[in-house]
Amino acid sequence: MIYILRRMAFYVAAFFVAVTLNFFIPRIMPGDPSARIIASFQGRLSDAQVEAIRASYGTTGSLWEQYLGYVGQVLRMDFGISTVQFPEPTSSLLFYGATWTLVLVGISITLAFLIGTMMGIHAAWNRGGFFDSVFTPLNVMLNAFTPAVVALLLFYAFSLQLQWFPLGRAHAMGLAPSFDLHFIGNVLYHATLPVLSILIVSFGGWHLGMRNVMINLLNEDFVILARAKGLSDRRVRYRYVARNAIMPQITSLALSVGFLLGGALVTEQVFNYPGLGKFTVTAIESRDYSFIQAQLLLLTMSVLVANLLSDIANVILDPRLRKG
Amino acid sequence: MTDVTQIRSASLLDRLDEAAIASAAPSQAELMTELRIKGRPGWTSRLPPSLAAFVTNPKGMAGVTILLAMILFSIFAPMFSEYNPHRRAGKPHVMPGYEHVLGTTRMGKDVFTQVAYGGRISLAVGFGAGIAAAVIGLGIGIAAGYFGGKIDDILTFFVNVVLVLPGLPLIIVIASLVDSAGPLVIGIVLALTGWGWPARTIRTQTLSLRTREFVLSAELMGEKKWRIIFKEIFPNMLSFFMGGLVLGTISAILAEAALSFIGLGDPNAVTWGTMLYWAQNNMALQVGAWWEIWPPAIAIMLTGAALVLVNFAVDEITNPQLKASRKIGRIKRFLKRRGRSADVF
Repeated sequence: MIYILRRMAFYVAAFFVAVTLNFFIPRIMPGDPSARIIASFQGRLSDAQVEAIRASYGTTGSLWEQYLGYVGQVLRMDFGISTVQFPEPTSSLLFYGATWTLVLVGISITLAFLIGTMMGIHAAWNRGGFFDSVFTPLNVMLNAFTPAVVALLLFYAFSLQLQWFPLGRAHAMGLAPSFDLHFIGNVLYHATLPVLSILIVSFGGWHLGMRNVMINLLNEDFVILARAKGLSDRRVRYRYVARNAIMPQITSLALSVGFLLGGALVTEQVFNYPGLGKFTVTAIESRDYSFIQAQLLLLTMSVLVANLLSDIANVILDPRLRKG
Repeated sequence: MTDVTQIRSASLLDRLDEAAIASAAPSQAELMTELRIKGRPGWTSRLPPSLAAFVTNPKGMAGVTILLAMILFSIFAPMFSEYNPHRRAGKPHVMPGYEHVLGTTRMGKDVFTQVAYGGRISLAVGFGAGIAAAVIGLGIGIAAGYFGGKIDDILTFFVNVVLVLPGLPLIIVIASLVDSAGPLVIGIVLALTGWGWPARTIRTQTLSLRTREFVLSAELMGEKKWRIIFKEIFPNMLSFFMGGLVLGTISAILAEAALSFIGLGDPNAVTWGTMLYWAQNNMALQVGAWWEIWPPAIAIMLTGAALVLVNFAVDEITNPQLKASRKIGRIKRFLKRRGRSADVF
């Protein structure tokens, strides 16, 4: 319990580092957002108007006051008003996009983890064999392919040429979101290609990670003892070796969430999927800073939550952590 | 009356003999050819051990060869092509042929020339950011691991923060604030966000090295701290440093491509990422101009694959069990051919 509390304290601190970075980065850069907007009017603004624009971007008062104001805003989840979808508050847009990104990343990360880990177990058990010497390098190389290219090729082949999959959107137009089979099926149908393209570039890492940790464990005394006792190969493989090798995997699973969310950005752009990445690209094009900053905070937040979950999972799996 | 015990023991002995002949231990010469062990040490034995381990690793050398070829190709780009990568060189979307080896883009620029020149920036950003991140990670990792105490606590906190902060979204925030993020800006930001992993592994390694005899004896002899760090600890970190460098370079090249692809980079710079960006914007695939997409894509994939191969070699050097596992496959196959159970573990 103390371990979890200590980790939580760290996550709160890390979140504040992200908030602070978010606050200072625009202020270090030449020309903060408000100055940019004011400059774009080329001196046709009255002093009061300038002051109003500055106030709406939180660039009035001393630096410390601005900082406190910003932290307060973040805690209230108030990220201002989107300039792209004008009257909408940024936060509602943010959470709408995040839902769909969560669908994409959630499905693909689960599949990638399961497939990669199973392949890694197989490769490590038959290390030096055919599967290990051919597919281990191959899968890891897939990991170094650009998500952009994989997504473009899938889109071209299956959406444009064969037309097996839709050209975009998260679900068919005019279909009201509900929790029935028809809607969920439709969502999965639309998510197939984006999920596939994230999957292709991400399962190799789990394969390599699991394989390397397992190979190190295979020569440990407890494994030799288990085999000497005459336990079945299956039992030794899953209950003894894989059981112990999975813990570092779970830690890196949590750390990879941030990387995957970044990868989803490109995928969503190619497949025209209404997730966070798509909105972020739109926000970049129209210089909607409040959205760009808010997406960093939201993504940091989700990485931190994922890390907390992995800590809890590790405590459940590893009795040594329960004491500390 | 026959002696039963005599008969039994004889037949048992016979059977044992048969088994012994079937499973005759292979001679040393047989084993050595099977495991490809040379009788006499080759020229690599004269190299430093860690370098020799790398040079004799087929995966690592394959990776290095591809990388060197890519680097030389982009450095000597002017020798391969007389076109200017920024200028129109022919009609738009010309098929690959004699005039244009890899065709032209929609703007009529020569794709082959762009790939060659684009490699300069893409590889420079990748390696620059990778090297910088590995150096920062090395410094912070060794400092945290060697000095310990308060310094370790503070540095570890920052390492963990960098690990937890999502890199690409942070880069997007920064890149969207500078007007157009040129390759230099992207490289700097990638270096500043990428040192988490090398710092973590190097810190763990330093912690275990600090209690070894050779470091303790150096301390007892009154060596200066910086001398211990550079002369005793650093040489043992070389392979971990290389590992961090390779992984950092892969992620920097991929991140540069991703950022340029979504339009955050400088669209006038010629990099593999911006080539993909223009290809996507000009609907190259939709109009059938596959030669606009494939060359930069293959260049990125080839570089990534080569770096992955190098990383395999580095992994096998830092973790001898991985290297041994390659031999196990050969031993198993050998035993199987001789009709023995392949229960080598």
